[in-house]
Amino acid sequence: MKRALLALAMALGLPGVGHAETFTLPPFTQAYEPQGVDERGAWMTADEQERLLRSSKFVIRDDGLNHYVRGVFCRTVGKDRCANVRIYVMRMPEFNATMYPNGMMTIWSGLLLRVQSEAELGAVLGHEFGHFEKRHGVFGFKNKRTMSDVMAWIGVAAPQSAGFQYSLLGQVYAFNREQEREADMIGVQYLAASDYPSSAAARVWRRLMAEQDASASARGRKAKHGYAAGYFASHPSELSRATTLEAAAVRYGDEGDEGRAAYAQALKDWLPEFLGDQIKRNDFGGSDFILSQLASDGWSGPLLFARAELYSQRGNPRDYVTAAQFYAQAIEKGYAAPKALRGLGLAQLRTQQTEQGKASLRQYLQQSPDASDASLISSLIGN
Amino acid sequence: MKIPYRFAAAVLVVTSAPAHAGNRLMPAGTPAQIAGTPLSVTPPIDWNRLGLRPGKFAETWTLDGDRLNKVVFFSGVPAGSPLFREIDRKNRPLPTVSAAMLATDIPVLLESSYRIVMDTALFQVDAMAPTSVGGHDGLRFSYSYTRQNDELRRKGEGRAALVGGKLYMMLYEAPALHFYDRNVEDFHKLADTVKF
Repeated sequence: MKRALLALAMALGLPGVGHAETFTLPPFTQAYEPQGVDERGAWMTADEQERLLRSSKFVIRDDGLNHYVRGVFCRTVGKDRCANVRIYVMRMPEFNATMYPNGMMTIWSGLLLRVQSEAELGAVLGHEFGHFEKRHGVFGFKNKRTMSDVMAWIGVAAPQSAGFQYSLLGQVYAFNREQEREADMIGVQYLAASDYPSSAAARVWRRLMAEQDASASARGRKAKHGYAAGYFASHPSELSRATTLEAAAVRYGDEGDEGRAAYAQALKDWLPEFLGDQIKRNDFGGSDFILSQLASDGWSGPLLFARAELYSQRGNPRDYVTAAQFYAQAIEKGYAAPKALRGLGLAQLRTQQTEQGKASLRQYLQQSPDASDASLISSLIGN
Repeated sequence: MKIPYRFAAAVLVVTSAPAHAGNRLMPAGTPAQIAGTPLSVTPPIDWNRLGLRPGKFAETWTLDGDRLNKVVFFSGVPAGSPLFREIDRKNRPLPTVSAAMLATDIPVLLESSYRIVMDTALFQVDAMAPTSVGGHDGLRFSYSYTRQNDELRRKGEGRAALVGGKLYMMLYEAPALHFYDRNVEDFHKLADTVKF
């Protein structure tokens, strides 16, 4: 309904939709074929990459998860557009998503761990689809080729012109940043036209900045969040993206259900896996921040277990005390996996609670007698 | 046309020389010190030691090239040091050896290090068991992982011990397909000769 109203308002040029007046999507054809030698080449390369990706061990082949992500995508961009895109969910713990010229999209598990609602996921999916719809891949390639040609000829004609060539190189990155800004705006416009609220888009970047702060702080550094991007930055700064997206959301003033509960439910089975990947990245501050964000509605058993593992891995003497408490709380909350008893026992052994530690490990072995580390744990408790 | 080819050949020789300069045959029956530490092994068959070391306290041996089979020794890694050379200390620092480690923490340290160095989330420790390493209490463990750039599943086996607060570890790794099974006994025979 919201999509129809926005389309009508855009068609009539109503002032209430502000920026929407300048937002005109190119005609969308279901079976678009690449035009010209450059675009055909880009698609051919992407087709080959997709053939390799389809058999990659890093692709998560869970029908339920894939179906859910596609559903969010379709609700964001609309059924006609979503049909043309293939989404691959990748087991990669970083915050990232990629779009290829031929309509292949990858969503990384680290992104799924960090967004907290369907609307936030839709914001990223819409952004990526914007790259496809605006054919950024081929235009970016053409821009790079033109600039490198010009730089080569200038190098021949005027060898002392390094400063000018440096300036041209900067233009390549600036062009890329401009494409990212355009995709950001398309993404937020899709959200505004969907049942999801466009205000969710900026929150993704705000939270990412806060995670960077937490990560840097735990490493004794200070994260820098400038408004302007670096000269060779491929993307605008997170701060400028958040600010621009917030302003756009205010202009649209749309509302809707973000789908927080549905998102948490859909990710429930994968959450322990993705948290495990994150904790093993040796980023205490960032991981603890992500956990605290996920626990905004309360600490569940799996979240407490993950936090216990995080503290245990940092490995300061005081961390084992904290870890033992979190393991115990996870068990109290009904977290039934034997590995919680294992973690508890190993933490207790290192915090002068030798007898309690041995008791916990004995319990672990009773629950999991065929564990792959049973003989090692037995040797630790002197069995 | 000849000049560019000659030039290319010269560049190839110059650029490839440093990587191979330190490669050395480790002849059968001759005791070899590992990374200048008191740890030594006596190879039952000829092995090759690569000049390129993965870390300050580490060295790599191979039979057919490190992509097909390799043994990595970590000898006396002290508390506070990572297993491997840092790849991005500022943004992705490696975990370090801790004096408070238990045997069960050693595969965890290796897993976390590999996930960062190899840039992979497909790593798992498959089994752990107690064993003796050169007369010291230690553990043996097995693991497997896949790297993004080659999609080839590799299997590994390790033996490790903490001696005097320092970590000593030997890893054997090879593609799960064919090569792991082909040379795993060669690793066992080599690892059995370890002495402090």
